[in-house]
Amino acid sequence: MPKLVLKFENSVLKEVPVGTNEVSIGRSPENGIMIDNPAVSHFHARVFNEDGRLMLEDFGSLNGTFVNGQRVKMVTLKAGDSVGIGKHTIVISESRDLDGFAVGSGKPAQAAPKLNETVMLDTKERREFLQKVAAVGESAQVAPARLKVPTLVVRSGRTDRREYMLNDKLTVIGKSAMATVKLKSWFAPKAAAQINRRDDQSYYIGAADKVPCVNGNPITQPTQLFPGDVIEVAGIQLEFVYRD
Amino acid sequence: MELEYGARSDTGCVRENNEDSYRASPEMQLFILSDGMGGLECGEVASRIAVDTILEHCRRADLNPSLPLTGGRLDGVCDATNRLASAVRVANSAVYSAAQGSAQGRAMGATVVAVRFVGERMSLAHVGDSRAYRLRGDDFEQLTRDHSFVAEQMRQGRMTVQQAGSSRLQNVLVRALGIDPSVEVDTSEELVLDTDTVLLCSDGVTRELSDAQITAVLQETEEAQEAADRVVDLAKQAGGEDNITAIVLRPAARPVGAFGRLGKWLKDSA
Repeated sequence: MPKLVLKFENSVLKEVPVGTNEVSIGRSPENGIMIDNPAVSHFHARVFNEDGRLMLEDFGSLNGTFVNGQRVKMVTLKAGDSVGIGKHTIVISESRDLDGFAVGSGKPAQAAPKLNETVMLDTKERREFLQKVAAVGESAQVAPARLKVPTLVVRSGRTDRREYMLNDKLTVIGKSAMATVKLKSWFAPKAAAQINRRDDQSYYIGAADKVPCVNGNPITQPTQLFPGDVIEVAGIQLEFVYRD
Repeated sequence: MELEYGARSDTGCVRENNEDSYRASPEMQLFILSDGMGGLECGEVASRIAVDTILEHCRRADLNPSLPLTGGRLDGVCDATNRLASAVRVANSAVYSAAQGSAQGRAMGATVVAVRFVGERMSLAHVGDSRAYRLRGDDFEQLTRDHSFVAEQMRQGRMTVQQAGSSRLQNVLVRALGIDPSVEVDTSEELVLDTDTVLLCSDGVTRELSDAQITAVLQETEEAQEAADRVVDLAKQAGGEDNITAIVLRPAARPVGAFGRLGKWLKDSA
């Protein structure tokens, strides 16, 4: 089965096989391949099978669809063709099925792992897979998170400083010796709340002795923080921002 | 912080040998669990090498704090976490060497999850799909993110929870000890409250029991050992398809009953 490989500047973002159903491409989330870019129309083009041939049709998009550099309306695609939409490229490739991908080089001993038996992806396949995952991770990264420093700004309440840069994986808010955000009031808890940085550089706030509110609502589980979020806990108010 | 711990490992109802290993060192406040994989007895060997190497590296570092960190220093985490990550990297090399030297060649690997408590902070390092959980009040939270194919797919939004749950590829790992000469270790740090319970477990527990079932056991049991026993027994009753290992950790200063809480309140406010 052929598949469509969505790329942006050498990074593979997504792979979609084309079976009997057509794959639509566009800026709207209803599409099989969504490209979130203003240069792409909401419903830009589609790829479908017709009599065993793989077809591409442009829906009359504003900025056009290009195959190997030529603007097209409706063409037959073949493996290796490069479809340009905005700054993204879709490469047509012959797909292998998931079984081949998972069990690797197809050695008989590995071909049928017992259910429940833990196995590793074959090393070469695994590296390709991890590179692919890494590429998606990079392209999905929000730019400010990389260039700017996540910071808690104290809006109200008694703390030892007015701002705290979140450099550590664990940040504790409380009176405890290990707390980064030190509370000064007499009856403040040792550990009111905690903020964890995950390996993807996202930040999550969780309850400790107190249940913090984010944007006025008490959290029910660890909650991801976004710039501008306001945290209230143990009588203080903090804003989560990215500083230059 | 005083810790109470309970631990148990069981072959389960289907497998012939137990490829899980664990080590508990209450004096070092260090707890390690590993799930081995590989044919014949390689899985058992791999997991045992993993837990013993980590324990040994941490013990040597306690005696000699200037012992170099293997694989460099991580930013944003404390010394204990760096040491634990270093120990896991050393364990990777040890399992890798054993795999290279074995007759089966390369057919050996292991997961690992290790925690160490220093004061109110818990350092955590892991590779693979053995998990750490924390129960805080009613909130049962998975502290580790599986290095498995389906978990990676879910994180990328390419698979739903339902698809992952029914996938034939649930048992495929994308990261493990002993596969490559070096390994990336995930680390995190957690605050420990007196009322928290921490659970380390192999996938033999989580494949059989839901979060709600595990939460109920941890909430209903008084002793940590009783909790570990009941988690393992329940997983066996549910099928016990894989080896089952659970380590339950609780700060020993658990205030019990209204008077205990009053005493704790008086102590804390003093």
